[in-house]
Amino acid sequence: MSATMTPNVNTPGDFQAKDYKSDLKPIWCPGCGDYSVVQGIYRALAAIGRPPHEIAFISGIGCSSRIPGYTTAYGFNTVHGRALPIAQGIKLANPDLLVLAAGGDGDGFSIGGGHIAHLIRRNIDITYIVMDNQIYGLTKGQLSPTSQKGRTTCTSPHGSLENPVNPLLYVLAYGAGFVAQASPTDLVGMAAIIEEAIRYPGFAFVNIQSPCVTYGEEAQQIKGLKAISETLESLGHDPSDRLAAMNLAQNYGTKLNLGVFYRNPEPAPTYDGLVRERQAQLSQGAPSKERILDLFIKK
Amino acid sequence: MRKDLVFGMAGSGGDGIVSAGDSLLQAASAEGYHGVMTKSFGSQIRGGESSCRVRISTDPVLNPGGNLDVAVALNWEDFLKFGAELPVAGTTVVIYEAATGVPENQIPLVGVTPLQVIAVPIAEMAKAHAGTERAKNTVVLGLIAGWFGIGAVAVMKGISKKLAKKSQELVDANQKAFDAGMAFAKEHPLKADMTIVPLENKGGVKLLTDGNDMCAAAAIFAGCQFFGGYPITPSTEIMQFFTNHVWKYGGAVLQAEDEIAGIGAAVGASFAGKKAMTATSGPGLSLKSEMMGLASIAELPLVIVDVQRGGPSTGLPTKTEQSDLFAAAFSAHGDVIRPVLAPTSVADTFRTTIEAFNIAEYYQTPVIILSDQEIASRKETLDPIDTSQFKIIDRLKPTGADLQDYKRFKQTENHISPISHPGMLGGTYLASGIEHVESGAPTNSGSVHARMNDKRTKKFDPLKERKDLFEITGNPDAPLALVAWGSVAGVCREALQMAREQGLDVKLMVPYLLYPVAEQTYRDFFASVQKGLVVEQSHLAQTFKVLRMHLDLPKGLQSLARSGANPFLPGEIVAALHHLLAELQRSHEGKLQPQE
Ligand SMILES: Cc1ncc(C[n+]2csc(CCOP(=O)(O)OP(=O)(O)O)c2C)c(N)n1
Ligand code: SF4
Repeated sequence: MSATMTPNVNTPGDFQAKDYKSDLKPIWCPGCGDYSVVQGIYRALAAIGRPPHEIAFISGIGCSSRIPGYTTAYGFNTVHGRALPIAQGIKLANPDLLVLAAGGDGDGFSIGGGHIAHLIRRNIDITYIVMDNQIYGLTKGQLSPTSQKGRTTCTSPHGSLENPVNPLLYVLAYGAGFVAQASPTDLVGMAAIIEEAIRYPGFAFVNIQSPCVTYGEEAQQIKGLKAISETLESLGHDPSDRLAAMNLAQNYGTKLNLGVFYRNPEPAPTYDGLVRERQAQLSQGAPSKERILDLFIKK
Repeated sequence: MRKDLVFGMAGSGGDGIVSAGDSLLQAASAEGYHGVMTKSFGSQIRGGESSCRVRISTDPVLNPGGNLDVAVALNWEDFLKFGAELPVAGTTVVIYEAATGVPENQIPLVGVTPLQVIAVPIAEMAKAHAGTERAKNTVVLGLIAGWFGIGAVAVMKGISKKLAKKSQELVDANQKAFDAGMAFAKEHPLKADMTIVPLENKGGVKLLTDGNDMCAAAAIFAGCQFFGGYPITPSTEIMQFFTNHVWKYGGAVLQAEDEIAGIGAAVGASFAGKKAMTATSGPGLSLKSEMMGLASIAELPLVIVDVQRGGPSTGLPTKTEQSDLFAAAFSAHGDVIRPVLAPTSVADTFRTTIEAFNIAEYYQTPVIILSDQEIASRKETLDPIDTSQFKIIDRLKPTGADLQDYKRFKQTENHISPISHPGMLGGTYLASGIEHVESGAPTNSGSVHARMNDKRTKKFDPLKERKDLFEITGNPDAPLALVAWGSVAGVCREALQMAREQGLDVKLMVPYLLYPVAEQTYRDFFASVQKGLVVEQSHLAQTFKVLRMHLDLPKGLQSLARSGANPFLPGEIVAALHHLLAELQRSHEGKLQPQE
């Protein structure tokens, strides 16, 4: 590990949002919700104060997955659907890093849908942000796993026959320790939720309704989102109540409930933490690597 | 007396055939002999037929051997299921279970009359002396000790060590079964003396291991600190070895949810600055190919082991083949070179694996180790390896000057750029599968793409110059030649010895580097060659075709290729060489005729 690493520091004020903004100019369509998401991420990171070189920001492929390039962190824009496996390899290789993963609803819940369950059950300390626009943006407007039933897109010209995935219920059902939803209509709230997700010691999931202004539906645009927004706080929701969270998560697609659905009040041990413990236990009195072939000596 | 003995044993799943083979090999190695053991199963997990082949010799052994000297059939029908893998010849002694074997007059079932056929009431003896049929394998070991002189003391020492944990009664029962086997052998002498030459000098400490364990141990030795994988026969033991040992050295291992996640985690660990590996077999290699493309363009070191089995698809999952060469070299999208290395024995799996890590780190690239089922699961005795002779190479890290204005994919003279990793101040960059400029920023410029393709392919030019990745034996000017890699190389080494003893002027090339094809090395080797054979276990003759794709081969070079499972025999290769020589002589005679 590099000597420049300063794990677990929290020095708000050392870094400002602009310190996390890279020189790359985003090539999202003007008005795309992802512009707002990246702003939220800058703010959250500034509030936490980890220097950019201690952050690894991993994504899959999609419009939204371009996001690591717009930050000054170490970024990795990988292959479609596989941000999470790669991110977990990074975290296990170096648990001192702050590891963020992000991507679209297609990336996360379609091609990559099989991985989420396993990161959750391992409880790897990674924050996963999905920019949920209920459409495939980068490939120009096909049906996504979160598109509403009946939706017409270029691959469902007569209306979709499929029920959508409910991302919130999905991760809650698998037992994620932190589940929240945010909206670009409320930048300050979104930044606070992302910050809280990063601080949560374990797998944290944030779903963000991020409008696609090019292929998205009317109801998914800022005006539409504002109309259906409702904070969980205003509903008096207790984020330590997992069953209540699952109940509220059923609103997905009709209401846009903002805030923390669930935060495990007693966070479970993380896989990366357990790995460290095992390394420490088993390294005691271990023979040197140079003598590893001695294992094969038969007397 | 014999310097070399090949045993083939088969029975049903519960007969303990493989553990008998294990005990025999361990005992032989404890007595100082060299040996290898290969095992083979039907596709059932339990209850199916299983077999093993143990070769024991006073000299180092290069392969599992040809026809059996000794066939042990606990069940004759099961034995015959292994047909060509356990070939019986006119020189074979056949020992079979009297209770389940076929009548003696039906024995030349495989078309040959063995030297001697002995029915032994193995189960009955086990029951009578040890009180349980489960001691059948111990009776067999007693028979072997009696007739062939191997393991009279060492076998029971090994067995007792294992069983002592359970109970002294078990140890005693097995001792009785073993003694009964020995006594039976003494009462029924063989027609020919087949005892093995006793060793005077025991040759000191020996290692005993298989290719998979050796591969994992070598990876840890090379500094590998992360393994991500998904179980698949016959590669799984590599992951198992890691789960046992890598933690001690600060590493981690992940049994992922599938092959894609396994290699993905390894790609992530490499991006994070650690040496990383994944291992799989054919179907898993297919799943990993998209990630291999990613690692190539992101220029991340990574080692992928493919333990080949019979394909395509789930094919022959428990049998060996060499048919993944195309997949290893070419299963990528885009223009990319991915180095492919192959070990030829358990012993050199150590060196090949270290080499794979060194190449991966130096060239910042995924590297495939093409092992095969035979090497991976065969047990070999080996002399201790002096590990201090191996150089370990780590990736080129950026210096302070590089970090002033860090460009991850900087064009350098040798096309290799210093690589930073998260945590390194000043080294932040964007890695991606998207084409990128030197800084890592995405581009879709055709000219940058062409330049970067150039960087990513030209960087391997020096690799192709490395002569130490090729083993050439025999007279360098020989007109006859053999080319073989992987487990088949061992058979060809022995064929070379035999052919030379028979006066043939022949040489052998064993490439450890299969891809990129080192054109000049082959050209030099082929310069003197008028006739030759590329020997491989691939129906499509993949090696022959890859060579032909990259260079002009001598006209007389032919392919000796066949599907997997059935091993080549050294004698058959020598026969083919004689045939080539005859052709060569005929063509020379032709030259003396008046030409139109
Ligand atoms: C293996 C593979 N399959 C398909 C694609 C094509 N592809 C790229 S992005 C994408 C979907 C993008 O949708 P989403 O993940 O929702 O992200 P968005 O663009 O909407 O932000 C697809 C199908 C690919 N790059 N790789
Ligand atoms: S296509 Fe949609 S998601 Fe993609 S950049 Fe444009 S607005 Fe954003």
